[in-house]
Amino acid sequence: MSAATEAVRPAYRPDRPGPVTTIRQTIADVVSRRRLILYLVRADLKKHGADTLLGNVWWVLDPLLTMLVYVVLVAVILRSTREAYPLFIFCAILPWKWFSSAVGAATICVVSRERIIKQVAFPKIVLPLSACVGGIVSFIFGLIPLFAMLVLLFPNHLTPWVLLIPVVAAVQFLLTLGIGILLSGLTVFYRDVGLLMTHALRLWFYVSPALYGTDQIQSLTAKNPELARLFNLNPFTGLFESYRNLIYYGQAPTWDLLGIVVVESLVILVVGVLVFRRIEPAFAKVL
Amino acid sequence: MTAAIDVRSLGIRYNLRLTRKNTVRETFKNLARRRNGPAHFWALRDVSFRIDHGESLAVIGPNGAGKSTLLQVLAGILEPTEGRIEVLGRISSLLTLGAGFDTDLSGRDNIRLAGAFMGMEHTDMLRRLPGIIDFADIGQFIDAPIKTYSTGMNARLGFSIATAVEPDVLLLDEVLGTGDATFRSKSQQRVEELMRSARAIVLVTHDMTWPVEFCNRAILLEKGQIVAAGDPSEVVRVHEERSGQRRAGQQPDPLPPLYDAGLPALSSHIPGAVRLR
Repeated sequence: MSAATEAVRPAYRPDRPGPVTTIRQTIADVVSRRRLILYLVRADLKKHGADTLLGNVWWVLDPLLTMLVYVVLVAVILRSTREAYPLFIFCAILPWKWFSSAVGAATICVVSRERIIKQVAFPKIVLPLSACVGGIVSFIFGLIPLFAMLVLLFPNHLTPWVLLIPVVAAVQFLLTLGIGILLSGLTVFYRDVGLLMTHALRLWFYVSPALYGTDQIQSLTAKNPELARLFNLNPFTGLFESYRNLIYYGQAPTWDLLGIVVVESLVILVVGVLVFRRIEPAFAKVL
Repeated sequence: MTAAIDVRSLGIRYNLRLTRKNTVRETFKNLARRRNGPAHFWALRDVSFRIDHGESLAVIGPNGAGKSTLLQVLAGILEPTEGRIEVLGRISSLLTLGAGFDTDLSGRDNIRLAGAFMGMEHTDMLRRLPGIIDFADIGQFIDAPIKTYSTGMNARLGFSIATAVEPDVLLLDEVLGTGDATFRSKSQQRVEELMRSARAIVLVTHDMTWPVEFCNRAILLEKGQIVAAGDPSEVVRVHEERSGQRRAGQQPDPLPPLYDAGLPALSSHIPGAVRLR
C-alpha cells in the first residue's frame, strides 16, 4: 500500500464532541441503561459465592478474617497498646476491602466482556459502573459484623455519629468509580495494569493510616511538613480518618480532609470518564 | 422506498501496533522499530451500498475479506474510520450467536441480559420472554447455567433472541446452519417471516445456497473492497469461480473494486435517518 492510500481522508473523519458534551452524553447513557446496570450487578452478585461452600457468608467472614490477621500481627506480635484495636483497624479494613475488590472487578470488567462488546453496541461505561455498584452490596454486608462488634464487644464506642457512615461511603464511591473507570479502559490496551494494580494497592494500603493512626506518625510528619501535606493529600487519609472518627472516636468526620477527597475524586472521575469515552471506540478493535 | 441502510465510502482501519501488543514492554519495542512493517490495516475501504426496506443483502467473500467487520460497523460496534453510514430503525445483532452469553448465568438470565445490552425496554423484554424461550425450545435447560448447554442449544437460544426482538434491520453472521434439521427449518421460516415484514437483512455466510434462495442482492468482498455486486446468483457464480481457482492453487486475477456501488444515494437526504456514532 502506498503512502497516499494509507492516509485517512480528513473530510470523512467523524467530529469529536467536547468534554462537556461527552460528560452529558455519558450521564444520559447511564440513565437510559440503568436496567442493564441493575442486571449486571445482579449477575455479579449471583455469581459471587455461587461456587463456594459458604456462599454469601463470605461477605461477612472475609473482612473479619482479614481483621483477625492484622490483630494477630499488630496487637499480639507487635504488642500495640491501643484500646479496642480490632475495632480501630476494622474501620479501615472494611472500606478498604470494598475499594480494592471494586477496583479489581472494574479493572477486568471490560476485558472479560470482550465477546459481548464485539457483538452489541452499547455504552461500555456501564461495565465499570456496575462493577463499582456491585461492591456496595459487599460493603453493606460488611457493616453487619461491624455493628455486631460495636454492640457486643465495644458498646462504649457506639454513638449516633455512625449514622453518617453513608456520607463518607458516598465520597468513597466517587473515588472508587473514577479509578475503576480509568483502569478498566486502560487495561484494554495494557494488560499490565491488572498486575501492577495488585502491588500498587498493597502499597497504598500501608501508606494510608489503616493499621496505624495519624497520631502515630506525628513524629514523622512534624519534622517534615512536605510529607505531612503529601500524607493528607492521600484520599484514604481523609476517608480512613473520617470512618474512624464516626465509628471509633464517636466524633465528627474530618471535614477538611474529606473535602479534599471530594475534590480529588471528582477530578479523577471526570478525567476517567473523558479518557474512557475517548478510547471506547477502539475497544472492539483492540480486544 | 427509503433506504434501510446507506453506506458511503466506508473505511475501517485497524491500528496494528495497538492491536498486536498487550503489554507496556511491547509498546516500547514497537516504538523502537517504528519504521518496520505497516502500521495500519484497512479491513474495509471504499465500501458503498444501500439497501431498501424489504431487501436482503448477502455478503460473501473469502476468509478475511472484511465481512464480519462490515457487520460490526452496521451494528454500531465499530466506528467508521472514514466515510459514513446510516442505518434506519432498530438493529439486532447477535453476530456470532450465543457467543456473548454469560456462561455462569441461566438461559433466562441471559435473555434478560441480552435484551438489556441491546437496549430494549424492560416491559418489552418481559413480554417477549415466553416467546423467546418457546422458540429456542431447550426445555428445562432454560434455568440451567449456559455452560451446561450444547453448542446447538447455545446457538438456538442466540437465534431466538436475535430474531424475537422484531428488528428493523437484522444482521446475521453465519448462523443459519446451526441446530438440527427441525430447528433449521424453523429458523429458515423465521428469517423468511422477517423478510416478508418489510425488514432489511444483511447476511454473512459461506453457505452459497442461502444468498440465492433468500437474498435479492449480494456483494462480494475481497480484501476489504466490493469487487462484485448485484444479483445473488451472479455474484455467487463469480465467487465460486474465484474460490475454485484459489483451491487449484492459482491466484485469481484481482478484480477492480466497485467504488460506486450504491453511490446514487449520495445526494439523497434520508429523513429520520439515524446516524451511527
